[in-house]
Amino acid sequence: MIDKISLQNLLPRVFRGMEDFDKIRCSEIWLKDSVSLERGCRICISAESGSGKSSLLSFIYGNRVDYDGTLRFNDRNIKEYTINDWCAIRTKSIALLPQELRLFPELTVMENIQIKNRLTNHKTETEILEYLDRLGIAEKRNVLAGKLSIGQQQRVALVRSICQPFDFIFLDEPVSHLDERNNRIVADIICEDASKNEAGIVATSVGHHLMLPNAKFIAL
Amino acid sequence: MKQTASQTGVWQLLRRNISAGQLLGYSAANAVGLIVVLVGLMFYLDSGNEAKNREQFFSKDYAVISKKVDGIGFNPVTFSEEEITDIECQPWAKKTGRFTASQFTVYGSVTLGGRSLGTYLFLESIPDEFFDIKPKEWNFDPDDGFIPVIINKDYLTLYNFGFAVPQGLPQLSEEIIGSIPLSVRLTGEGMRPEYFEAAIVGFSTRLNTIAVPQSFMDWANERFYTEGEKLEPSRLIIETDALQADKMNSYLAQHGYEKAGDTADEGKISKFLGVVSGVVTINGVVICALAVFILLLSIFLLLQQSRDKLNYLMLLGYSPTIISKYYLRVVIILNSVITVIAICTTLLARNIWIRPLGEIGIGDASIAPIFIVALTYLLLINAINARVIHRRMHRIWHNR
Repeated sequence: MIDKISLQNLLPRVFRGMEDFDKIRCSEIWLKDSVSLERGCRICISAESGSGKSSLLSFIYGNRVDYDGTLRFNDRNIKEYTINDWCAIRTKSIALLPQELRLFPELTVMENIQIKNRLTNHKTETEILEYLDRLGIAEKRNVLAGKLSIGQQQRVALVRSICQPFDFIFLDEPVSHLDERNNRIVADIICEDASKNEAGIVATSVGHHLMLPNAKFIAL
Repeated sequence: MKQTASQTGVWQLLRRNISAGQLLGYSAANAVGLIVVLVGLMFYLDSGNEAKNREQFFSKDYAVISKKVDGIGFNPVTFSEEEITDIECQPWAKKTGRFTASQFTVYGSVTLGGRSLGTYLFLESIPDEFFDIKPKEWNFDPDDGFIPVIINKDYLTLYNFGFAVPQGLPQLSEEIIGSIPLSVRLTGEGMRPEYFEAAIVGFSTRLNTIAVPQSFMDWANERFYTEGEKLEPSRLIIETDALQADKMNSYLAQHGYEKAGDTADEGKISKFLGVVSGVVTINGVVICALAVFILLLSIFLLLQQSRDKLNYLMLLGYSPTIISKYYLRVVIILNSVITVIAICTTLLARNIWIRPLGEIGIGDASIAPIFIVALTYLLLINAINARVIHRRMHRIWHNR
């Protein structure tokens, strides 16, 4: 179980030499001595495009290691984790909704969700259908993901991301293509699921925030 | 949570990038390569080049030596024990065998084309290990009363082309000769004749004689020759060291011995068959190597085409090892089928040469080495494929 994620003097390597730039100096995360994400937190990270939001989530998710500084889960440097450790983390501890969604266009909505759920056996098909229904895409369950609009794909990817137990869920611009009503439904679903395990929620945005109640805003 | 390769949906996703054409191309190339290797190897084994047969066939040189006969001699020209011992001590004599002559009267007859032919014969024997062929029937049992005979191949040639035609007799193949029953009458000094059945079971190119099994000769000499001393051998067969041929020749000249039955040609045949088998096998190995190369390229291409999918699966929590298993399963099934096809084809192809080789007493090599080589190849190629797939998966994991 991951209770705390610590960031220490973190900086994407692509920003090396730009330490004096405003977007680094004014950041509340990059190059800060001690930034902690605690379990149960509700955080919205807002920033302009190109400021490294997706990079930050990729670093935390173990997908990229091109950064300076230190990232720790509890007190362990995540660079020490093995491939098996990461596979366990990605199915038990940290959920991610990537900005690019990463759906398989040749699979149907349900197949896209089950490809994750069969790995974790976390949700029943009925539960999945309920989520799809709440998000207004239940009738699309047998439609190829590639045939859906971006907004619909975003909702499918969201359901897939919660088909696992997690201590933290990271959502990269989760409502960038959703209206306010769907924004609220997404926030409700995420909060309900996170609350069951007192999990932390971290969502990024470029201005169109996820409507998380009592969320703390951090500028990247 | 333990991951298994049975998660449905993943294979459904990955198989879309697999090209049937690429797999077919690899399968055909690999099957051809493996068949050529196995056929080459099987022929090599069957043609007597393996270690066991080398002991008795082809690759060793033999010489048959005798003493010169001067004028008209009524006393048999034989080798004494001292002379034989001296020859055995020579560095060029690896092994020495004695010709044992029949010490009784032999009369053989055959009925051919309605005409009966008969003649007095001589029989000789040498230890079995010195024969260039070893027919299956090469055994004598007194209760059975059947005498297997090996004659020199030239005798058949002489009959067919020198005797049969002018005499109005039919020309005969080796197979026909083997099927003609001979009647042999053996008579000892002052004894009643005894009759035996005999047949020519093989043709030797090494021995210029009418040969019978040593076991028969020992038994018959014991039974039909009771008086006087046993005859000393008049001829010796020697397995020679070809590298010391000069020493041997000078020794023979010095002692007035004559040499016959030089098997230098057999050494050449041995080398020729070895080279042919070697070239065939090397060709097969090259084809196999190319086939493996095609498969590796196909795997690289396939994984490259599927790179995004594989990366997404890994981000969902699928381990590189578990994803590798999907591909490995295809490769193992494919290679196993190819191996089975190659083994079956090799065993079928063996029918082409097994009979002709069987007639000269070889070609009965064990097929176990074929299975061992094929299975070893299967394990090796699967291991290489597993390694390549595993490495590529890890490169994808690390975004390299």
